[in-house]
Amino acid sequence: MAEEKKGRAVATSTAASIPKFVRGNMSATLKAKEEGKKVAAAFIADGQDEIMRAMDIVPAWGESFSGVCAAKRDAEKYLQKAESDNFSRSLCTYATCNIGFDMMREELGGVAPEGAPWGGMARPDMMLGNGQLLCDPRFKWPQATQHYQQDVPVFVTNMYYPPWDPNGDHHEVEAIYVKYAADELRETVKFCEKITGKKMDYDRLAKTVELSDKTWDLFIDTYELRKNIPTPMDTGDAMNTMVPLTFNLGTQEAYDFYVSLKAELEQKIADGVGVANPEKFRVIWAAGLPSWFALGDFQYFNGKGVVFPVEVTYRGCEKIERLNLPKTNDPLEHIAWRWVRYWTHWYDAAKKRPGSTPKVERIIEYIEDYKCDGAVFHSAFSCRSWHAGIMQQAATLKKVYKDIPVLIMEGDIVDISSYNEADTHNRIDAFIETLAASKARKG
Amino acid sequence: MAFVLGIDVGSGYSKAVVLEDGKIRSFAVIPSGGNYREAGAAAAKAALDKIGITRVEIARTVAAGYGGNMVEFADDTSTDISCHAIGIHHLFPSVKTVMDVGAQYSRAIRLDNEGRIANFIMNEKCAGGSGKFLQVAARILHINVSEIGELSLKAQKPVEFTTGCAVFAESEAVSRISEGASPADILAGIHNAMASKIVTLAMRVGLDPDYAVTGGGAMDIGLVNSLGLEIEAKLFVPDNPRITAALGAALIALEQSKR
Repeated sequence: MAEEKKGRAVATSTAASIPKFVRGNMSATLKAKEEGKKVAAAFIADGQDEIMRAMDIVPAWGESFSGVCAAKRDAEKYLQKAESDNFSRSLCTYATCNIGFDMMREELGGVAPEGAPWGGMARPDMMLGNGQLLCDPRFKWPQATQHYQQDVPVFVTNMYYPPWDPNGDHHEVEAIYVKYAADELRETVKFCEKITGKKMDYDRLAKTVELSDKTWDLFIDTYELRKNIPTPMDTGDAMNTMVPLTFNLGTQEAYDFYVSLKAELEQKIADGVGVANPEKFRVIWAAGLPSWFALGDFQYFNGKGVVFPVEVTYRGCEKIERLNLPKTNDPLEHIAWRWVRYWTHWYDAAKKRPGSTPKVERIIEYIEDYKCDGAVFHSAFSCRSWHAGIMQQAATLKKVYKDIPVLIMEGDIVDISSYNEADTHNRIDAFIETLAASKARKG
Repeated sequence: MAFVLGIDVGSGYSKAVVLEDGKIRSFAVIPSGGNYREAGAAAAKAALDKIGITRVEIARTVAAGYGGNMVEFADDTSTDISCHAIGIHHLFPSVKTVMDVGAQYSRAIRLDNEGRIANFIMNEKCAGGSGKFLQVAARILHINVSEIGELSLKAQKPVEFTTGCAVFAESEAVSRISEGASPADILAGIHNAMASKIVTLAMRVGLDPDYAVTGGGAMDIGLVNSLGLEIEAKLFVPDNPRITAALGAALIALEQSKR
């Protein structure tokens, strides 16, 4: 039985529509069969969104499913199921929760187990993986779950970007990485054509990519409104409002969502309405996925006058003009450039600050732009590839920038057994006292 | 005459300190048990009874610690981290780095020149650097926790544990006992393992002299000795290290009572 979950209010009414988005994505997989569409088990930030959308392939997002289970505090049964077949708890709990669900569904002949959140997700017709640099489970997750669905074809691509080298010039090698990524995307298209039996309509793909670019721009225009003091939107909301960008990129619905959100934030600014009243401290969510079962902690911060006007997490886009992308008529090559430049466009700034790194430089840029007093990092034990570097990022930030208050929170994305509310709130309270002391020192 | 009260309801013990005109007049330490609400009240009563006064005569009360929010009669609450900082700064104004070894957690706190928190960090969910490790050691060696410190100072050849994990160290300690290692050598080895973890934690907030050790762990002279060797510096230790946070809470109460 699921534990009782505390309700979470959202600061924006637009964010309140997000559950319908998430539910819609999951039910789209269940309706796909009757609509004659193919379902692909898919993973976020893989550069494959527009390919799927342009070919009417319905993505079944594993991370979204696991996040929903966590938010409903109902992931334990799936984690235990995966654990029963020797998947360790220290593996990515997005993966193990989703694999546990897949195992149960297979035992039921492809029918989602009773009680699955919002009916669960349909058995996929294919799996599209991408072993990129963000996440090590991406290499093996599709193959691991294929173990239980052996007739489902898997296609795992690799989308890399130049590694950070303070002494090297990434501009010299970017084109190589772009060519590699574009070739991988071309192979993805071929795979999808084979499974769906349909040819890619490249004009439609180009229009889809164009819509994605517009959505990237609009997302940043919207989020930059949060620079306002008081900020009209908090990271607690952003952990919801990332859904259209992250899971529905390349759709009109995603674009329209940010039109509404932008209008709401502009109105809040005009009305002088902020997340916290008074807004005592502004802090950045500097790295890490949230504990989906404890999003109420953002309100705990807000209730004490602490707001998050900006976060690194789920800000998976940038204004297109800032990326200075080379012109190309090939939409796949455009996706590849956008992917590579999204990561490398902080490299030049990082080189100018000795000892810095692109990830730290990005945090510094946001601290400056959004006038933040401190930084919060969340270290989720099962998400190694991102969170393992958090301590180093925090230390580098203090070393190359300034000694600002930093809070390292500990927990997990899905596994609630990692969480201790009293301990977390105690740390938050002490952090707020540190912020106050820091401000007092500055006079 | 003005009394103020500070209470620290920790996971292991609840502590209360009464200040009269800014000076410690009385204090009490009792086990927290399973009811933090009652433990906070009982610690306060014990401290007040010692000097024959009641809560009515207290101008202001501040509570802190794991169960600080459950002290219903407190006028305000603060975090035990802040209270440790304030308590240590009051006792040793030159200290910049505080290592607090509690029953469940260890913490490192860096202070600025005015005794305010500049940075802090708590250990991860691990008993390796906390008082829990000492309780485990006492259980396997069938001795009282209070005997650990003195006994460990008699070590001839401290055992080198291959792990900083209390769970694995327990089985390793049992193996070493079967190999003939003395209790003193085992305890000194545990102290060294704990000191290494705690100092590593403190390095994450930045080591800045002077240094102090507080919390229940600071009552263990063997652990303090190992910490001093690990950090290669003199350590300041309060006379009653378990009440540092309660003292800090009382000092906050005193400050607030002046407003």
